[in-house]
Amino acid sequence: MRVVVAPLRSFPSGERRIIEVGGRSIGVFRVGENFYGIRNRCPHQGGPLCLGHLLGDAVADAPGDARLSADPLRIACPWHGWEYDLDSGQSFMGMVAPGVRSYGVGLSPGRSLGSEVRAGAPAKRVPGPYVAETFDVNVEDEYVVLHA
Amino acid sequence: MSSQVETRPEVVADPARAVELVDCDVHAQATEAMLAAYLSPGARRMLERYGRRTPRITEWYPRARHSGMRVDAWPGKPGHIWGSDPELTREQLLDEFDVDYAVLEVLSGQDCHDHPYFAAEWNSAVNDWQLEELLSFDARFRGTIAVPHEYPELAVAEIERRAADERFVAVLMPASTAEQLGEPKYWPIYKAATACGRPVAFHTGGYVDHRGAGYPSFYLEYHVGNGIVMQSQLTSMVAGGVFEEIPGLRVVLTECGVAWAAALRWSLDAAWEPMREDHPRLQRRPSEYIDEHVWFTTQPIEEPDNPEHLVYTIEQARLSGRLLFATDYPHWDFDSPRQALPRALGPELRRAILCENALALYRLPRERVV
Amino acid sequence: MDTIDCDVHCAPASYDALFPYLSDYWRQYITEAGIRLTGLAHAYPRAVAAPAPSSYAELASEVLVGEAQFRFVILNCVTGFETHRNPYFAAAVASAINDWVHEEMLARDDRLRASLVVSTVSTDDAVAEIERVGEDPRFVQVLLPVRSDLPWGHKVNQPIFAAARERGLQVGLHAWGRAGKAPTPSGFTTTYLEDYVGNQPIAQAQVLSFVSEGVFERFPELRVVVSECGFAWLAPLLWRFDKDWKGVWREVPWLKRRPSEYVRDHFRFTTAPAHLPSDPVTLGQLLEMMDAAGMLMYASDHPHVHGNSLSLLLDQLSDEDRQRVMWENAAGLYELGK
Repeated sequence: MRVVVAPLRSFPSGERRIIEVGGRSIGVFRVGENFYGIRNRCPHQGGPLCLGHLLGDAVADAPGDARLSADPLRIACPWHGWEYDLDSGQSFMGMVAPGVRSYGVGLSPGRSLGSEVRAGAPAKRVPGPYVAETFDVNVEDEYVVLHA
Repeated sequence: MSSQVETRPEVVADPARAVELVDCDVHAQATEAMLAAYLSPGARRMLERYGRRTPRITEWYPRARHSGMRVDAWPGKPGHIWGSDPELTREQLLDEFDVDYAVLEVLSGQDCHDHPYFAAEWNSAVNDWQLEELLSFDARFRGTIAVPHEYPELAVAEIERRAADERFVAVLMPASTAEQLGEPKYWPIYKAATACGRPVAFHTGGYVDHRGAGYPSFYLEYHVGNGIVMQSQLTSMVAGGVFEEIPGLRVVLTECGVAWAAALRWSLDAAWEPMREDHPRLQRRPSEYIDEHVWFTTQPIEEPDNPEHLVYTIEQARLSGRLLFATDYPHWDFDSPRQALPRALGPELRRAILCENALALYRLPRERVV
Repeated sequence: MDTIDCDVHCAPASYDALFPYLSDYWRQYITEAGIRLTGLAHAYPRAVAAPAPSSYAELASEVLVGEAQFRFVILNCVTGFETHRNPYFAAAVASAINDWVHEEMLARDDRLRASLVVSTVSTDDAVAEIERVGEDPRFVQVLLPVRSDLPWGHKVNQPIFAAARERGLQVGLHAWGRAGKAPTPSGFTTTYLEDYVGNQPIAQAQVLSFVSEGVFERFPELRVVVSECGFAWLAPLLWRFDKDWKGVWREVPWLKRRPSEYVRDHFRFTTAPAHLPSDPVTLGQLLEMMDAAGMLMYASDHPHVHGNSLSLLLDQLSDEDRQRVMWENAAGLYELGK
């Protein structure tokens, strides 16, 4: 189903819309020039995922040495704080792949590269157990269009 | 009194109207301005001029996720905060999850170490606010009697003031107090609660001072530590002979988890027998006292990788008749009634936890409110 | 079966035994102030414990001869856990105790190993003492009381772990600590029962601290041996710890794994007290809930008596797993028997 969400010019970066499509509540986000669609339902306990905060990754090479990385591409469920990559819907909550000592800086946003690790997800994080449903969103003739 | 499931005797004529869900820990929260409206002019002036003296625990241990509350629980109405708008609570909790009864625990007076007479007025204001704004708003709400617990005479007076209103189903105290909960200081409060047929609910929080291992650095440690504090307090209540002194006392350990109970019971029993001269007032095994006098709310229910293990600890601690379901709405780590209890518990135990145990403990009607 | 006993107590009978290891100044201080060693009387009252062996002869007759074939014994002297706020005295007493343990015990029997004790009121002094005696291979760990002013994982305490690891030492957290401090998270106690059981929730808080502060990220080789604080409480604590961390991991972003994984890898627990129920079904459940064979290390905790529920648990283990508890885990941890 193609759903016109809004005219492009009235949907600035940093904003989101939550719309009902065929009985499902879906959130559409704009981050820079990119658009994302994700189900407004956290797989954990059903919370309204799309009401949550957008957060950049928090990394630390050593105790106390904490910093935020560049891109706010994770949505944190407003209930228990489960965090999901906007692009892939994959949950992450802090675990790092073994043997990793440090992180790269400056993640680049983007669409799926069709590989196992989707761009925008920090490559070295261990995925969490939940995956939220995601949807394609693109721009057609100056309109933001959701494919649900 | 055994720890097995007790059911209410009456039968409901229409099964569609039978109670199925009792939420035993819900946080309505009044703002200072809302409570000030119930104060005497002198107390109101003192509040305006000097404020509340005790630092809030959130200043010591900031709640690292969502300021501690579900993001969507802020009403967006001017002058309101999370938990202060009964309409939102009704919408997000009662109606959303089909809750039949919700027991309110209003924590505004828990960390109150102000002047005794101010503390008494403040807690009385909490109870007045509950009555006017919540208990009268929706018949599904039940209240708990907030008391100035560090001043037992004043606390007893407040209990006696509210006892006639059956919508108050318990007396509320914090889990962290100036002295340990087993100390004789607090016995008059327990006696007054028992005399008017109410359990005492001890809710995580209060005067929080982490002795023993010192002050933790992080909210994470502090939060997990809520279960540790309650282990200590339960030990105090048992060792202090509270249940010998007040045979009718029932206590509800609230918002501290449940799975730690079994190991503590084993330790208390193992220590009790060889050291009996140390605690001559204890006539029976500690676990027997716990069996007869202690209930637990479920939230935050522990989540072992293997849900069977949770069932183990519930059986080990003989808790099937003693667990009371709680969402802890609107805290960030609230448990959804639909999903928080694992299927591994089985339908009978789930039913006991979701409503039967609470119906028995709080003597609630078996029929839903219309 | 070869056995390592990971917690056997010894203690000087009085300050007289420590005098050879103290300066004139401190001997006079002790004499003038009338300070006596209480043997931690509040922790080990007559009703529950005999005095700890105060000489090698006593240790030998009480522990080293007997049915169990002890290949090694780890000695813990908790005398220094008494209330010393004078940091210079605390440091002097810790050194004297270590010297006494070495001369009176370690030097006389190849089977003996020991924890070294340190000042608990000055990190610098604790590090200095580890540097002074920690190279001696007979000292295998640094002993800390489970009760502390700040949780042991706190950054101000971490130089202790650095110094320990530089010398291949582990860390032992042992029951008790300052008598003058309210021993619980809620205030002063009135019964021994509360104090005795109270070591367990305090040990739990210390576990939280070590993990949350990232101590094991900083010191990946460090192991912490929790002694005389029980262990049956561990599994439910880890369930809670993992669950809460999932929500607030951003507060401690240096943790790369779930808290329970750090605990499984870095903590060990001695077996006295065990405080276990007697029915085999429950014991079997407990074994399912925790990796007992991997995490437990046998200890008699002589001369303290806690009941013998441990034997019921051991009966449920395979021979191989029993071997791990009685010998292998400790042998690997302390590098013994090579």
